[in-house]
Amino acid sequence: MNVARHAVFSPVDSTARVDAVVRRLADAIAVGLLADGEQLPSEAELAARLGVSTVTLREALMALRQQGMVETRRGRGGGSFVRVPSELDPGVRLLAFAVDELRDLGDHYAAIAGAAARLAAQRSLPSDLAPLWRSLDEMAAASEPGALRRLDGRFHIEVAAASQSARLTQEEIRLQADIGPLLWLSHEALGGHDGMTTEMAAQHQAIAGAIQRGDGDQARAVAERHVLDATEHLIELRLRLQE
Amino acid sequence: MIARAGALPDAEAVVERVREAADGVFAALGEVRDATVACLRPRGGRPVAADLAALRPLLWARLNGSRLSALIAGIGFIAAPGLLADAPWYLEWWQENPAGDPVQLLRDLDPSSSAFYDYTHWDWYTGPHSGAERTICGPYVDYLCTDEYSLTLSVPVVLDGVFIGVAAADVFVRRFESAVLPALRRIPATAFLVNAEGRVVASNTARWVAGSVYRGTEGFAVRPVGDLPLSLVTAG
Repeated sequence: MNVARHAVFSPVDSTARVDAVVRRLADAIAVGLLADGEQLPSEAELAARLGVSTVTLREALMALRQQGMVETRRGRGGGSFVRVPSELDPGVRLLAFAVDELRDLGDHYAAIAGAAARLAAQRSLPSDLAPLWRSLDEMAAASEPGALRRLDGRFHIEVAAASQSARLTQEEIRLQADIGPLLWLSHEALGGHDGMTTEMAAQHQAIAGAIQRGDGDQARAVAERHVLDATEHLIELRLRLQE
Repeated sequence: MIARAGALPDAEAVVERVREAADGVFAALGEVRDATVACLRPRGGRPVAADLAALRPLLWARLNGSRLSALIAGIGFIAAPGLLADAPWYLEWWQENPAGDPVQLLRDLDPSSSAFYDYTHWDWYTGPHSGAERTICGPYVDYLCTDEYSLTLSVPVVLDGVFIGVAAADVFVRRFESAVLPALRRIPATAFLVNAEGRVVASNTARWVAGSVYRGTEGFAVRPVGDLPLSLVTAG
């Protein structure tokens, strides 16, 4: 058996498993599925739950600690707790991305958001629509930027879930973790301290409305536009930072 | 106009199979409901989350080692907000774990810290809360717990006439499908199961695959599945 073929059947690299666990937990923290201050299950329980060894889990937790997303306390009442990192300086965060990467992330996200919205329009029923309108009502009433941002994330996950596709929903959650905080930065730059432009609210209404009418083409078009507009603005911000 | 379905042995077999599967899960939920009442009734004053630990042997048994556990992926009691003195929002919720003992993932929930934690809007909660004896929620993408396309079956838990929460169980759509598909495939014509809203749960044809919606197209006969919020739809 040649070396390359041998490598195919060798055990999966344990660092890949660590990365997978880090990514899963970091995604959940970034989009708010795990809340700030929440206690994680014990290491043994969490390892069993994720189907990894305790050693792998410990490495992943260590990486998350280094990223400031998990805090571990010793002694009575100790354990691992979720920490939602406070906002990095927008410039610093944005400088980590090349314009080309932002464009590509935006393209990917627009494809997922558009496909999910189209399927949601074809398949959604009143029980799928109710959460969308509730999120938009709560957003209209929200005053605190943090709450607004969490509700924005929830709205887009609810749209994805209305597509009835678990994979599209998981991808929406993953992309929110990757680019969500950056897109929000662009919304905030446009909308000032309110963090939301009337245009953004109008786009949300248009997405929910097209889904409710069962108009798949329109739902896809506005969902894509929503992502691409924000991406475009983000790229403008990034280009200005370079000067 | 929807024609009322007449007797059809293959269709009856599907109805029987679905009822058997659902009745099994609802029987387990009846046990969870009774055990919850039994562990909270004797307590003077407001209960605390730790009181619900008494449910664990039962929940674990329903997740492990029985015919039923092949269907049930998660089971537990969801407290009405404010029921418990030490945790305003709480799930005594356990999930199967292929690698070993069942695990509890979500415990204390605080809707003020996460936009996702107010569970009182989910159909599996609102159904029992508004008095439904048997609720089948979904199929839906359960992004809160499992990331799976799921059904959640639930029943109300009432103590001395007061609604105190919900006993519920998760059944993945793919497992429900394995339980009923053999019977569905014996029907020679197009046949599929829908929930009360018309969402397809399982089907013997790609045209009406799980997740799609039946909106009362003509040419189909619809028959109820016992007193469950499900119907069997057949062509011709």
